[in-house]
Amino acid sequence: MSLLIATTLDDALAALAAGARPIAGGTDLVVGARHGKAPLPASLVAIDRIESLRTIDRSADGGLVIGAGVSHHTIETDATIGAEWSALADASALVGSPATRHVGTLGGNVMNGSPAMDTGAPLVVFGAEAELASAAGSRRVDMATLWVGPGRTSAAADELCVAIHLPARALRSGSAYLRLEYRRAMEIAVVGAAAAVTLTADGAVGSVRVALTAIAATIVEVTGLTGGSVADVAAAAQAAAADQATPISDLRASDRYRRHCIGVMARRAVEAAARRAAGETIAIPVNRAVGIGMAAGATS
Amino acid sequence: MTVTEPHTARPAPRFVRADGPDKVTGSGRYTADLSLTGVLAAKFRYADVSHARITRLDVSAALAMPGVMSVLTAADVPDVRFGPFVQDRTLFATDVVRYEGEIIAAVAATTAEIAQRAVDAIVVEFEPLPVVTDLEASLAPGAPLVHDGWAGYGAAEVVVRDRNDASFSSITKGDAAAAMATADVVVSSRYVADGCHAAPIEPRAVLAQWEGDKVTIWTSTQVPFDARAGVCETLELPANRVRIIVPHLGGGFGGKCGFHYEAHIAALARAAKRPVRLVFSRREEFLAPDRRREGMIIDITTGMRSDGTIVARTGWIAIDNGAYTADAGFFSQLAAMHLAGPYRVPNVSIEAHLVYTNHQPSGSVRAPTAPQACWALESHTDELAKAVGLDPVAFRKLNAVDTGAEGPSGQTYDEIGLQQCIDAATANAGYGQELPDDEAIGVAIGWWPSFSVPSGAYVKIDGDGSGQIITGAQECGTGAVMTLRQLAADELGMAPEDFQLVYQDTSVAPYDMGATGSQTLFNNGRAVVNAAGQVAEQLRKLAADHLEASPDDIVLADGHASVAGTPAATVSIAELAGIAAGGELLIGHGSGQPPGPPPLVGSTCVGDLGMAAFVAPQFSCHAVRVKLDRDTGVARVLAVSTAHDSGTIINELGALGQVEGGVLMGIGQALTEGTTYDDQGKQRNAAMLEYKLQTCADAPPINTHFVQIATPDAGPRGAKGLAEAPNVATAAAISNALAAIIGRPVRRLPMTAERVWETLNEEAAR
Repeated sequence: MSLLIATTLDDALAALAAGARPIAGGTDLVVGARHGKAPLPASLVAIDRIESLRTIDRSADGGLVIGAGVSHHTIETDATIGAEWSALADASALVGSPATRHVGTLGGNVMNGSPAMDTGAPLVVFGAEAELASAAGSRRVDMATLWVGPGRTSAAADELCVAIHLPARALRSGSAYLRLEYRRAMEIAVVGAAAAVTLTADGAVGSVRVALTAIAATIVEVTGLTGGSVADVAAAAQAAAADQATPISDLRASDRYRRHCIGVMARRAVEAAARRAAGETIAIPVNRAVGIGMAAGATS
Repeated sequence: MTVTEPHTARPAPRFVRADGPDKVTGSGRYTADLSLTGVLAAKFRYADVSHARITRLDVSAALAMPGVMSVLTAADVPDVRFGPFVQDRTLFATDVVRYEGEIIAAVAATTAEIAQRAVDAIVVEFEPLPVVTDLEASLAPGAPLVHDGWAGYGAAEVVVRDRNDASFSSITKGDAAAAMATADVVVSSRYVADGCHAAPIEPRAVLAQWEGDKVTIWTSTQVPFDARAGVCETLELPANRVRIIVPHLGGGFGGKCGFHYEAHIAALARAAKRPVRLVFSRREEFLAPDRRREGMIIDITTGMRSDGTIVARTGWIAIDNGAYTADAGFFSQLAAMHLAGPYRVPNVSIEAHLVYTNHQPSGSVRAPTAPQACWALESHTDELAKAVGLDPVAFRKLNAVDTGAEGPSGQTYDEIGLQQCIDAATANAGYGQELPDDEAIGVAIGWWPSFSVPSGAYVKIDGDGSGQIITGAQECGTGAVMTLRQLAADELGMAPEDFQLVYQDTSVAPYDMGATGSQTLFNNGRAVVNAAGQVAEQLRKLAADHLEASPDDIVLADGHASVAGTPAATVSIAELAGIAAGGELLIGHGSGQPPGPPPLVGSTCVGDLGMAAFVAPQFSCHAVRVKLDRDTGVARVLAVSTAHDSGTIINELGALGQVEGGVLMGIGQALTEGTTYDDQGKQRNAAMLEYKLQTCADAPPINTHFVQIATPDAGPRGAKGLAEAPNVATAAAISNALAAIIGRPVRRLPMTAERVWETLNEEAAR
């Protein structure tokens, strides 16, 4: 096995062109190898020391460019992301354990392509794009184009995800990501939902996007949602999510239970996103602030 | 009988355990950390199928691989069938494999990778046999036998066996059928519990090295002497040629009781003529050992008078034994006791079967049988209270045993503190207060015996006045061994820090049963007190000579021997130790007579393995506040209040840790921990992501009160056991909280979010 520790993007892209696979935090790659999912690749290039992958920058249009090597811990504690792209902070705050969040990266979560990834649904509702670079140049793809199946992306073998581009946040908009979990750390989403909501001047929902985690082969967006009162849109999101989900039965849940719970998560995500859009501050992660999470630490 | 008054006048000391800094800083050495020159790596070939006849086994390709130093199968070891209750097990599969983790062959090679490749190169062909997974089907007439030759196996004389029933036990008192017929109210319930795991943080490891005809085995066992006995039996060696040493043990929770892989590794090392080390993966830790918590089907019926007084109880229990009996022989009787419960029940008829299946074998995991049986009984008890319109706590106060009362197996209890436990735990939980929607406090009571068994220790004081306790006891994380320093120090008027512990080495110390049955402090504490007492006697004699006084007047305190009433006449223990070093050395040895079993009156027990009479019984009450998310069925434990009668508490800090760990384990068993199987009896969730232990982030505040009363036939200073009792009642209390919120109990354990949601939907559909 060979391991190249790259310090520049060009070095990393050259290694990929020569057949190496990238490793950042290793939280999926190494754990997967240990569990016999896939052996470690024979040639690895470490990208965790490439400074240009670890920056968070405002774009000219008011959006955000998050380097693929930015850790979940940085995302969950970043004031700008927490205030303007809250759903992503909600998601990163739920990943694994504090140790996982310090080494695990956004790019790794996105490119691992798990249908249960926490950051995926938020990126979909933001209309984010992944920037893929290779020695030959770079391109931007939307998330729906990127993910093609469980653990599979449309990126070529020599392409590296270098950044995630988030469009500017609209006025009176808010977002939230929730998941069903059986314990409060070292957990994986049983199902999850993200919502981004933009309110009209009179407080109704003007536009809404909802995306779902762990109910299909990839993260999927709910279709057919339109504006209306928050209660109506939340109810519609619940019904549409349950209707459009194509869940499987596995160790974590039956398809029937997943279908029910994805509706609950979608409704709660819309409700929380609408509260944030209206200017209310709900602590990150919102999972700890609604439903059973509200009980956290409360004993009276 | 001896009755020991508790030391309530003096607050229990709170001391940091001696092995704590090693473990916290990472300087402590565990078995997998050890290496020896020339050490080889061991790997096992497992059956990977649940029930099949081996038609071909060919290890020649594995043997021929470069770097492979030995390959063993059943043909290479003595033909010995072993097992503490039923001799149904062999080191390697002979002709039939009966669960997926059964070992067919073992390989030692220069690296773990080569060993694994060699294991993969072993050719095994099978003829499938019918897989038995369902407990009731296994007991049915004509069911396929897990052990064709069961009738020919050796077994302990009292074990009652019949085909797939490896150990039948019953408790009969009075006339349950007649009393039930006269009852005003009768309630019947069925509860079903899944199996689960001990899941210690350290997967097990074994390292063996031969020198001539003697072997030293470093191993992660909770029971070094039991491990030694297993090696001696299966490899046909005398005890004095086998030395078991346990480095720091990374937890056990019962999972590392019994004899496991020490003989396989010793045999590999002998064949390879080099040291051999085995280190389990997490997956192996889930699949292979014959120690996991047993699944159960429980039927219970109770008859009451209309005022709630219990008049009769009947029960039927099927316990999943798995493919081999291991130490589960006594489970049927213990489960029957836990289903009878710590109640005044005049008429009892409970039958329990230990049922062979093609699952991984069951074995002693922390309070075996109790959390499941208590969960069923106590959930049933809330159903009883509801049926007669009584508050569940008032119902328990009415029916629970108390000092002087007769329990369900005909034992009349001396001083016990169960009623006080109920009062303290419910009061501290704020039971009865107004709660927000979808919250409730559930209450459950439990009990657990103290185990009275032989145990030994030496105490010596060297010439510089420093002491050593050389004990056969094993520390598995409970802190019980650490407490021995306090006992020796108090006997000798010295400080705990004056003593070093020498432990976990079978060739150095006298016998102890090991970290099992909550017995360490109870029995080894007695041994250490006796050994230290001998040294104290020696010191008093020496001091009497030195100070020209009578030995009877010498007081040992604060590191000095002084004449009572004449404080000026004093000499340091260190100085006396120096004198002794030039004459008769300061050495004590202790064991002491274990208290015998209390009498039973009016009951009959078939398959009596000594579990129907509880020596120095421990009692507990847990009150747990739970919040339910009705939309998803996810339950969250908000707070736990416990009260325990475990006799005198010697080290409060350690005791609180025991209770808190037991409660957290109980929350896991209640809500998230359960083994799931495929239709072939193979585990589907043998990994930490899918087998959901509780994490620190899930831990609620836990309030604990110790009821300390004078305890007859207890251990040193009136102490009873404490390691297992905290694991008994938590799941039951959570069940009762959920039932209070939902309106009916969740009848499957663990009470997962999905099962709670299903129960909610059933309720909504009614």
